[in-house]
Amino acid sequence: MAERVELERECDVLARYLGASAGDEYVRAQYRAAHDAGVVELPGTSSFERTVVAVARHVPVLSRPLDAHARVFAPSSLLRRKLVLLLAILEVRAPHDEELDTPTGSSVLAMFARMAWLGLVFLAALFLGSLLSLPIWLISLAGGAR
Amino acid sequence: MRRVVVVGSGASGVHFAQTALERGAHVTLVDVGRTAPAPVLPEASFARFKREHADPAGYFLGARFEGVLFPGAKGEYYGFPPHKSYIFAPLDRFRSQARGFDPLTSFARGGLAESWTGGAFPFHESELRDFPLEPRELQASYGTVAGRIGVSGTDDDLSRFTPVHDHLAPSLPLDAHSRVLLERYARERSRLNADLGVWMGRTRAAVRADERDGRHGCTNLGRCLWSCPREALYTPSLTLRALLRHERFTYLSGRFATRVEIDAANRVRKLHVVELATGRSEAIDASDIVLAAGTLASSKLFLDSLRAHGGSAPVLEGLMDNRQVLVPFINLAMLRRRYEPDSYQYHQLALGLEREDPRHYVHGLVTTLKTALVHPIVQSVPLDLKSALWIFRNAHAALGILNVNFHDDRRPECQLALEADREGTRLLARYEPSREEPERMRTALRSVRKALSRLGCIVPPGMAHVRPMGASVHYAGTLPMSAEARPLTTSPGGESHDVRGLYFADGSTFPFLPAKNLTFTLMANAERIARRWCDAQA
Ligand SMILES: Cc1cc2nc3c(=O)[nH]c(=O)nc-3n(C[C@H](O)[C@H](O)[C@H](O)COP(=O)(O)OP(=O)(O)OC[C@H]3O[C@@H](n4cnc5c(N)ncnc54)[C@H](O)[C@@H]3O)c2cc1C
Ligand code: SF4
Repeated sequence: MAERVELERECDVLARYLGASAGDEYVRAQYRAAHDAGVVELPGTSSFERTVVAVARHVPVLSRPLDAHARVFAPSSLLRRKLVLLLAILEVRAPHDEELDTPTGSSVLAMFARMAWLGLVFLAALFLGSLLSLPIWLISLAGGAR
Repeated sequence: MRRVVVVGSGASGVHFAQTALERGAHVTLVDVGRTAPAPVLPEASFARFKREHADPAGYFLGARFEGVLFPGAKGEYYGFPPHKSYIFAPLDRFRSQARGFDPLTSFARGGLAESWTGGAFPFHESELRDFPLEPRELQASYGTVAGRIGVSGTDDDLSRFTPVHDHLAPSLPLDAHSRVLLERYARERSRLNADLGVWMGRTRAAVRADERDGRHGCTNLGRCLWSCPREALYTPSLTLRALLRHERFTYLSGRFATRVEIDAANRVRKLHVVELATGRSEAIDASDIVLAAGTLASSKLFLDSLRAHGGSAPVLEGLMDNRQVLVPFINLAMLRRRYEPDSYQYHQLALGLEREDPRHYVHGLVTTLKTALVHPIVQSVPLDLKSALWIFRNAHAALGILNVNFHDDRRPECQLALEADREGTRLLARYEPSREEPERMRTALRSVRKALSRLGCIVPPGMAHVRPMGASVHYAGTLPMSAEARPLTTSPGGESHDVRGLYFADGSTFPFLPAKNLTFTLMANAERIARRWCDAQA
């Protein structure tokens, strides 16, 4: 039961991180079903990867730095798998498909400025994610994440 | 007229069968013939489907989420719809192993083309030079097949490479992105033609806009990849469905053909099959057998038959397939626009690269991104997923892929052979690219990049993807047609030069593989072989 609550919380946090409205029971049910089907956490998943997910779940503002770090250093890690799974569920479910896939309506100039900004944000997030990886690693060694 | 036994209900088999029936023959079609699930919400567009289906994730991603392309998974830019897995599901009785080649086979009703993207390009006269027949003969069959299946296209700049044939229906309305590209091409045309030898025009596709033969016209539902629920996009199972109403047609599905029995005079006598549900073997008497099980399966049947007849099986040389390179591009003029979910999903434009030797023509299919599952693309952006999504939503309508196809020749090092063990036999496929291939690809891709740039597009560096051999599923060449009666070849009428009464009506008979998708020619050639066979009976 506790595990189910944790998964749902994780689903809501990650959905909000991706820019979708959280709290859709169908999305949560699918997210849980994928975990039950055993396609998310593969054999060989390390306790470090699990700890990264646990931190992202409990401290939502850290989702981005941890994601940025995973994108560069562990693109197939558990956090990325969970994010990609959730994106796949959201994109086939209205209204999230529209929430995630509608242009933001800015001018071309504003768009390129925003892209440059996103590049900088990514670098900053990557830096922060890298700093975080040491304490997370220590927590994982201490058996902090199940 | 006589009875003919056909193996396979794919694009090749059904068009042989249809012509033979129309000309008075009795046709028995033996097929594994796995069936498709029933269409779901047939009138709903892609967007409406997501709103109205009670379990969209079950439909799009599958009960075990097999439609999710997780990071690091083997796959390309799209996930394959789970409900289409019946098309590619392997069969224990068909065992194969490959080197340098990633083969796909199908045991579905309608075969591989149940999941094709409808590209229907006739071969040019120069590309038929090695075919021992008058191009006119095949041109007539292109017209016949186009009348049956519905091929749309336009007589434009690309007609110099893909001739216009009878029954060419008008092209579908263009999606906005393709329209922008074509307008830009019109402005840059003379420079692109003269400097780069690049020509562009409307694609040829087996999709119809009008209502006919119980099929509905295309209404832009945008669900082509998930199997067109209106049957506007042609698949061979539609022809099979029509054949089933014919009184001289017998369909034996759930049967796996194991070998052809050959008598002492080297003539076919029987077709041996296994009923898959019961494992029971049966032998069907036949004096004319047509193998249309797809190049790989037909070749294996042939080798198994020779082995049973003479104790050993030869090596079949000359296996061909088109190398394909996927070149993603971003059209700057389409940035920040809303993508068009209600439009035909597959390629609407094609691109041709003229070469000094017309047989080396390079063929490109331009698919603009509309409806598709986007998570495979978004995760490939080298940023965190949130930033990647922001960029993607503003670039979705601007994205496209050019699928560049290269020709192939018959070469002795590309082979099919048979290996026997205690469980039976296994098909061994071996493929080695030609030595000229890297240079050929480099020069073509350079022209393609320049052409895209003149069309206002950028090609993100490092993103072009060379597909493995076998991925294009354009297999051909193992028993080529030849005017001379050489061993391991077929006559211009598709009859084996080794075994009388044994015909091949699929890609195995092609002596050359141009860069163009071959299935329209498979159908036309099967139609042509059936005509010859009927004429010989008469
Ligand atoms: C995703 C995808 C997209 C494609 N897009 C295009 C395109 O746009 N344009 C194009 O030209 N081509 C395209 N192709 C290729 C095209 O699908 C194939 O060239 C074509 O389907 C081959 O037809 P075939 O009849 O020769 O063989 P198959 O389609 O392989 O059919 C074989 C048939 O034989 C039966 N069979 C096999 N072995 C046995 C046996 N031993 N006993 C009984 N039955 C047997 C099977 O059940 C099946 O019915 C595409 C392919 C794929 C996978
Ligand atoms: S857009 Fe595709 S799915 Fe829709 S009707 Fe046309 S061919 Fe069929």
